Amino acid sequence: MNDIIDGDSHSSLLLKFMILVAISATIMVFDYRDTILQPVRTSLRTAIYPLQYVVDVPVRMVSYLSDYFADHKKMAAENKQLRSMVNVYAARNQKYHSIASENIRLRHQLNAIPAVKERFLLAEVLAVSGNIFRRKVTINRGANEDIYSGQVVISGKNIYGQIDSIAPDSAEIMQITDPAHAIHVLNDRTKMGALAVGTGKTNLVELKNIEANVDIKEGDIYVSSGLGQLYPANFPVAVVSSIAYNSGDSFMKVMARTLTDFSHTREVLAIWQTKKAAGVIEKPESQLKKNKKTPTVNDQADKKKH
Amino acid sequence: MNSVSLRFSGAIIVSILLALFLILLPWSDNLLRWRPEWVALTLIYWCLVLPDKISLLLAWFAGLFVDVIYGTILGQHALGMILVVFMSIRLLPRLSPGSLWHQYLLISLVLGTYFLINLWIMSATGSNPATWAYWLPLLSSLIIWPVYRWVLHLFHIERSRFGEF
Repeated sequence: MNDIIDGDSHSSLLLKFMILVAISATIMVFDYRDTILQPVRTSLRTAIYPLQYVVDVPVRMVSYLSDYFADHKKMAAENKQLRSMVNVYAARNQKYHSIASENIRLRHQLNAIPAVKERFLLAEVLAVSGNIFRRKVTINRGANEDIYSGQVVISGKNIYGQIDSIAPDSAEIMQITDPAHAIHVLNDRTKMGALAVGTGKTNLVELKNIEANVDIKEGDIYVSSGLGQLYPANFPVAVVSSIAYNSGDSFMKVMARTLTDFSHTREVLAIWQTKKAAGVIEKPESQLKKNKKTPTVNDQADKKKH
Repeated sequence: MNSVSLRFSGAIIVSILLALFLILLPWSDNLLRWRPEWVALTLIYWCLVLPDKISLLLAWFAGLFVDVIYGTILGQHALGMILVVFMSIRLLPRLSPGSLWHQYLLISLVLGTYFLINLWIMSATGSNPATWAYWLPLLSSLIIWPVYRWVLHLFHIERSRFGEF
């Protein structure tokens, strides 16, 4: 081996290494402090999407086949049950319509701001984040279906999380159990507020800022308060599972189990909240046209800074 | 002396895609804790077999994709991957690349540094895992190495050349 060539290639390797380290450090700082790298992340996500789709194919196949070969009798029974449920819901819906119109009339009379109108889209969970210390999942809907960053996602009647980053055909949801996520909640029984911060563990959040003399007990249900204008109010979030107090601390350590079972949920609902009144309300439409995250007051209130 | 050549052009990229595929596989939470660092292992393998074919830029891009999959801040794993390649190439002349024990030594050194750097970055950006389970992938990477090495050996051809001395 020629020593000179060897040394030369080593020093060029070192040079390349140093340059790449500098670039990495720079983009890390930018990604941590700012949102300008969001398009880069989006395009990388788009590039990786086919791979993600291929990985999910067996899971889809299994569920498709099990649906396909499901017992006919069972299916018929299920169908019947669903039909009857549709009737029930249609009746309820009818009632709801009359109540809604009454509500609009009353609000009109009171000169109040019109209530929130919502639009839903069902999305399927495609993949769980590779990072086991974060709680993020990827869904099969994205910017093409008008999903926007910061959008609220629910599962059943419980809050699931919010959209974090988007790609044309997929989006990443930050679950409410993610360590970087916080949501303001109210005790349904006493109406005392607290901050539900994710723990990074499945189905577990920590309720912060609960003083030692606050009335709270195991089994209390916490609902979203609607403060910060991101999450709709009065959606159930978590139920208190353990309360601990170390004398001398100013706050109690309260853990709560989320009402969404994250380990079994495969379908979620993305919500569009449009408020018809002018003025105070943010416009999701303008956000999704720009197709990038515009940090609003809402985001900062509902999403903890890193 | 043996001459090693790729089985087909782009075999390195295909092997990295395989590693990304392995990352994306949906395991249960308990198994996920044990997931080896597939991409880093792949890069180390190519450093051992074809050190002049592996480029830092390729490692850097592979790391960026890992960042996107893991949802970490952009650049964290990219930095980790170029560190893996750089350290492997620099340590290579001090080891005999064919011996399994030397390979184990290299992997524990390189991956140990890689995990430590990742841990620092995660702590600095406020997503500290704060559990010993963070180090399990290092262990599982070492356990899976002989098998994975065999899989990756399918990507290249080794020809013995007796004419050369």
